[in-house]
Amino acid sequence: MEVVRNFPFLSIIMALFSGPLCSVLGRQAAKWVNTAVISLIGVMSFAVLLFTVRTGDFYVYQMGHFPAPWGNEIRFGQLEAWMALFFCVIMLLCMLSGRRELARETEPTKQNLYYAMVGLLLSSLLALIYTNDMFTAYVFVEINTISACGLIMIRENGRTLEAAMRYMIMSLLGSGLLLMGLCFLYDLTGHLLMSNIRESVTALAASGEYHVPLLVAICLMSVGIAIKSALFPFHAWLPDAYGYSTLSSSAILSSLVSKGYIFLLVKIFYRVIGFDVVRESKVVNVLFIFGILGMILGSVFAIQEDNVRRMIAYSSVAQIGYIYMGFGLGTAAGMIASLYHILSHAATKSLLFVAASGLTDVSDERTDFLGLTGAGYRNKLAGLAFTVGSLSMVGIPAFSGFISKLLFAQAAYETRHKMLLALVALAISTILNAVYFMKTVIRLYTPGWRAGLTVAQAKITVKDQPLKSAMLVCFIMLNLFLGLCSEPLVRLMIEGLERFA
Amino acid sequence: MIGLSILLPVVAGVFLLLSAGRDAGGDERKESLHALHVQTGLVLLLTGALALYTAWNGADTCTWFELMRRIPVYFHIDDVSRLFVTVVSVTWVLVGFYSFVYMSHEGKERRFFGFYLIVYGVLIALCFAGNLVTLYLFYELMTLTSMPMVLHNGSREAILAALKYLFYSMCGAYLGLFGIFFLYRFCDTLTFTAGGTLNPELAMENQTILMIAVFAMLIGFGAKAGMFPMHAWLPTAHPVAPSPASAVMSGIIVKAGVLAIIRVVYFVVGPDFIRGTWVQTAWMSLALLTVFMGSMLAFWEPVFKKRLAYSTVSQVSYILFGLSVLSETAMEGALLHVVFHAFIKSALFLTAGVFLYQAGKTRVEQLRGIGRQMPVTLWCFTFASLALIGIPPASGFISKWYLAEGALEGDIGVFGWAGPAVLLLSALLTAGYLLPLVTNGFFPKAGLVEAEMAEHIDGAETGTEQVGDPSALMLVPLAVLAALALLLGIFPNPLIRFVSGIAAVVL
Amino acid sequence: MSAILLAVVVVLPVLGGALLPLLPFQSRRQRQVYIEGVVLVTSVLALLLLFHRPEERIVIFRFTSNLTLSLKLDGLGTVFVGIIAVLWPLATLYAFEYMEQEEHEVTFFLFYTVTYGVTMGIALAEDVVTMYCFYEMLTLVTLPLVMHTLTREAILASRTYLYYSLGGAAFAFMGVIFILIYGTTADFVPGGVLDLVKIGDRKNLLLLIYVFCFFGFSVKSAMFPFSGWLPKAGVAPTPVTALLHAVAVVKAGAFTTMRITYYSFGAQFLCGTWAQTVVLIPVIVTIVYGCSRAVKETHLKRRLAWSTVGNLSYILFGTALMTPSGLVGALSHMVFHALMKICMFFCAGAVISRSGREYIWQLDGLGRRMPKVFAACTVCGLALMGVPGLCGFISKWNLVKAAIESRNLLGYVGIAALMASALLTAIYMLTVSVHAFFPAKDSGSGSTERVSVTPAGAGHATPVPYDQVHDPGWRMLLPIGIFVVAMIAFGLHPQPLIDELTRLVDVIH
Repeated sequence: MEVVRNFPFLSIIMALFSGPLCSVLGRQAAKWVNTAVISLIGVMSFAVLLFTVRTGDFYVYQMGHFPAPWGNEIRFGQLEAWMALFFCVIMLLCMLSGRRELARETEPTKQNLYYAMVGLLLSSLLALIYTNDMFTAYVFVEINTISACGLIMIRENGRTLEAAMRYMIMSLLGSGLLLMGLCFLYDLTGHLLMSNIRESVTALAASGEYHVPLLVAICLMSVGIAIKSALFPFHAWLPDAYGYSTLSSSAILSSLVSKGYIFLLVKIFYRVIGFDVVRESKVVNVLFIFGILGMILGSVFAIQEDNVRRMIAYSSVAQIGYIYMGFGLGTAAGMIASLYHILSHAATKSLLFVAASGLTDVSDERTDFLGLTGAGYRNKLAGLAFTVGSLSMVGIPAFSGFISKLLFAQAAYETRHKMLLALVALAISTILNAVYFMKTVIRLYTPGWRAGLTVAQAKITVKDQPLKSAMLVCFIMLNLFLGLCSEPLVRLMIEGLERFA
Repeated sequence: MIGLSILLPVVAGVFLLLSAGRDAGGDERKESLHALHVQTGLVLLLTGALALYTAWNGADTCTWFELMRRIPVYFHIDDVSRLFVTVVSVTWVLVGFYSFVYMSHEGKERRFFGFYLIVYGVLIALCFAGNLVTLYLFYELMTLTSMPMVLHNGSREAILAALKYLFYSMCGAYLGLFGIFFLYRFCDTLTFTAGGTLNPELAMENQTILMIAVFAMLIGFGAKAGMFPMHAWLPTAHPVAPSPASAVMSGIIVKAGVLAIIRVVYFVVGPDFIRGTWVQTAWMSLALLTVFMGSMLAFWEPVFKKRLAYSTVSQVSYILFGLSVLSETAMEGALLHVVFHAFIKSALFLTAGVFLYQAGKTRVEQLRGIGRQMPVTLWCFTFASLALIGIPPASGFISKWYLAEGALEGDIGVFGWAGPAVLLLSALLTAGYLLPLVTNGFFPKAGLVEAEMAEHIDGAETGTEQVGDPSALMLVPLAVLAALALLLGIFPNPLIRFVSGIAAVVL
Repeated sequence: MSAILLAVVVVLPVLGGALLPLLPFQSRRQRQVYIEGVVLVTSVLALLLLFHRPEERIVIFRFTSNLTLSLKLDGLGTVFVGIIAVLWPLATLYAFEYMEQEEHEVTFFLFYTVTYGVTMGIALAEDVVTMYCFYEMLTLVTLPLVMHTLTREAILASRTYLYYSLGGAAFAFMGVIFILIYGTTADFVPGGVLDLVKIGDRKNLLLLIYVFCFFGFSVKSAMFPFSGWLPKAGVAPTPVTALLHAVAVVKAGAFTTMRITYYSFGAQFLCGTWAQTVVLIPVIVTIVYGCSRAVKETHLKRRLAWSTVGNLSYILFGTALMTPSGLVGALSHMVFHALMKICMFFCAGAVISRSGREYIWQLDGLGRRMPKVFAACTVCGLALMGVPGLCGFISKWNLVKAAIESRNLLGYVGIAALMASALLTAIYMLTVSVHAFFPAKDSGSGSTERVSVTPAGAGHATPVPYDQVHDPGWRMLLPIGIFVVAMIAFGLHPQPLIDELTRLVDVIH
């Protein structure tokens, strides 16, 4: 089984090199290479997962076997492996379901580029998951930003360019802050390797020296990542970026990109700084407040939105608020809830984007609500999928959203002062979610002729779009899987988190 | 026997109602009406006889079934039942005969007599009721079944009036029910027992809430008896209802409120519990206020039946005042007044009915000179009026005398003299609103010509060529009631003995 | 064996309903037989369960080791199961005749039957999580029924319904999780499961959570200020409003509050705390508010819906008294109100479908044409008012008895509210009967002209000419007749039922 230990590194490298490869291959070939690479990485991640779960331990992989100051380290346990697997699955599903749109909405010459960007994105995500080195992390954060920009811009209309611009600016701001935090940390500890930093930080915290610089470092890194992952006041770039880019971009961006950063933050909290130190620094309280604001206001924005894709995008703001709220609770249970929400949100949000595109297909590409009237009858599977996604978002039992809501609430009860605020916020945000998602669902099943509207009459059945339909079914299954069989996953994540640090 | 006397009229009434759709026209109608009258008359007589027989000889108690544990539907005959059932039966039967003729101009007789019989049965049950829940049950039923008699003519005002009647009665009934709930909790039993069944320990602990509950019951059941502040339904409901209906409502149904109050105060709560408390004071004040206010309003009222309705408001509060004093003499007066007022007021309403039926006159000023055309009717009216005012030897005098004496004897502070004073004032007002009718009726003065003109127009309108005394079927019940009003005043002793028996038991 | 029966009564209607569009039916009649068959079998099995009373539980599904969907029959569940098992087949029978005039019969009966199973699930839920899951499901499966006509009104109503219900569930969810964490077990145990050691000094927090939870669940039973959805949802076809919005759904709300109060948080613990005051006040307000709105409303079904709002709060009032006798009162009103209101709605549905008249003032004189329906309607009205001899009086009596025994000042206020509400009930119910049986003369005896002049917004139904109005067929009349008989029978001889309820509740203390 020793060969499995090389898989994480291999998968990063494979993803990284699939990019340049795709850019030189033909359009069709690039498409298949991309799919194959993602699948292969998924399989490899699965093997790693099996391996780590079986051995119940974590492994450090030193690149080129050079020790710390010179070498670069990868460290993986079951949590990392599971995340990698999950990200691969989602990415694969998103890519497959967005193929038709990609072919239609982008210039043929640029499609190779698109696959290249996706490869880069995947490699950066994997690197963020696996790396044990702060500087490597920073580098891949930048790669991630750039490739994400590419994904946004690939559909060249005015709004995506503007959105990409905004995203770039915000992201660079975030990266800058992250870099500054990193510098502080390096200054304080003299290390870049996470485990080494951790030792020094623990010593510093115990001695009480450099209290303020440490705090500043934590703040800078947290805020930097918060900006990059569109926590509430920094979300302005998000709706346009998600709302107007091509389907697979939207799905991937909303479900994965920000999650990579968030996972990095988890890593920083747990592995770099140590969660006790973070908790004492009160940074979590700030995250908690902004998380709750995000939960509420994101939904409020979504309610006001008339464009279904932008609405889903705004909903992401709310969901990211959930995740930060979970961090903010400052307990391991809160962290688990957040991690689970990363999964459930990723699965649900991509499902919603894909389903929404299926619905707009039968509505003359209209994305406003009136245009969608009765779309659920015209594209039955997409309607069903959207309904499932919505119910999951609202937190109906049997769907993934319910479990994360449950975990959040349970975590909230374990805290003392934040309990009530968190619970009330959860309840209110559930109501708000219900308002905009269920409104849409009801709209989908309102026949247009009753409402006195002339709507598109196009119909799409499973046979017309076999690939997308299959993907929708997969998404639905995934959602149900997360909702119904959550216990092993949660246990896996709890164990993984324990071995994380 | 109790069951039979209750069920007989109810069943007969239901049958009439079920056949109400089959009102034929023309000759058939006449025949079927005749049959209806015979049937109804028979049922009325039979029920009356049964009820009286049961009351004075029959079985003492009878339990139908258990509504809930410890709450049976239970009948028990005591002297109060006997008194009330007698008054009810006499009046009901007489008025029933009167209405055979009268209702011919209102139409829909089957419906009317159907409900008339049902209400009779319910009233008998009410009189016989042996515990508070049974009383309440039939009290509600009475309201519901008597409502169609108010809205009989189906005009918009009649329906609104009926709803108003319903609203006030229900409001009262629910206030009563409110109290019943508390009494159920704080009493040993809800079965009527002279002197009350209040559990002393529980009552002491919960005195405040119990006082409130009793007061609520007084107000609630007082609604039916037309006590301020829930009196307003009377003047609305009476003018629109057919006159026989008004007669029995004013004469009998308002007495159901009185009966309920007697039962609550003297047979469940016990007079001792409220003696000297704010409840008694408030009750007396309200009763006196109503006495005075009713008379004043009657004095100013130009519509004849409305005037009589206000008069009822005032007169029934005489009874309530008598009951509120909580002394033996006053209670005797009150019970006597129950009897007298039932006969008198029914007689008065029947005369109003005659005026309306024969001549179509509804307002007081139209009645000038009516004595020329309908001397017998007006004489009956005169006797009844005298009795109501309380001029000896007519009956009202006796009851008022006892009332005043009871008030003076009673240990009730300022009310000891205020009560009789108000009663006297009200008697003067009564004279003021009734006697001018008599004098103007017999001796029309300056307005005669005018009145005759009006009469001609009215005559043309109602289509009656000959305006005179009505047929015997109408006249006899009227005369009997008027005679009773007079004669009971002249030979009151058996009645007084009976009544003082009741008062002695409960106080 | 009998434990499997528990699962069967939940799953059978769900499956039976779900299969409906897939099965090839030759005729409407076949389909009706099939539906009635499924419903009847379920009901028979459910009633069998009631007599059998299996002790064991059955786990349907396991979310996690401590989160299961499990079913068990206990005392409180018995009552609810009994109510719905008796009413559902009758309502289905009624629905056949009613739905012949509406479209999308298949969809309708699909969800109608599924709802049966889900409601059973609520009644049989063994623990708070199961109940919550079925509760959410109930919202979702009834949504298509509210939307059924797919008119603008119906869509808006269904939206409102959904927002209120899901919102309520969101708050109730807090309580559910609370029980999971601070309870010794998530199961329903008479007297509550709270682990007071774990809670320690955070009693006020507990009470606050209870209040949230109570409000959350009582949204379904339309407590003020969350009552707006119920009258709006009246746009649904009458069988839905009758069965779901007078019985199944709203009673599920009341039932869940009972569960939470008596079986999870524990009535003894809550009694006399500020939480009790906080929940009692809106309940009492609702009693009066619902009835007053009913008086103001002139649309027949909406009037009944407001009346339901008021009457449900009777049940909640009994629940919130937090004494065993309060629960007896609440349960008895749950049973009796189910009878009265479903019958009343059936009458209203018969009137609307047969005469096309929806407003009270259009009913003038219809009592002649539909004597049976309006006679039943009058009996229901009297029962709702609480006339002794009919079942409404009994439950009212029990509620008030409990209120007096509770020695709670708000209990006394509640009694006054009950009385006021009875008075208002008299007004709004009897005016219907008066209009029907005693048409005002100057309105032309309701004969012809007036009804044709319908003001704008009078609904989509077109009035049928007066002479063509007649009583409906036996499938509508039979349920109505059975309910009327039951109302009278329970009114005259309620003791066995009350004894049974008391026995069920005795376990609690």
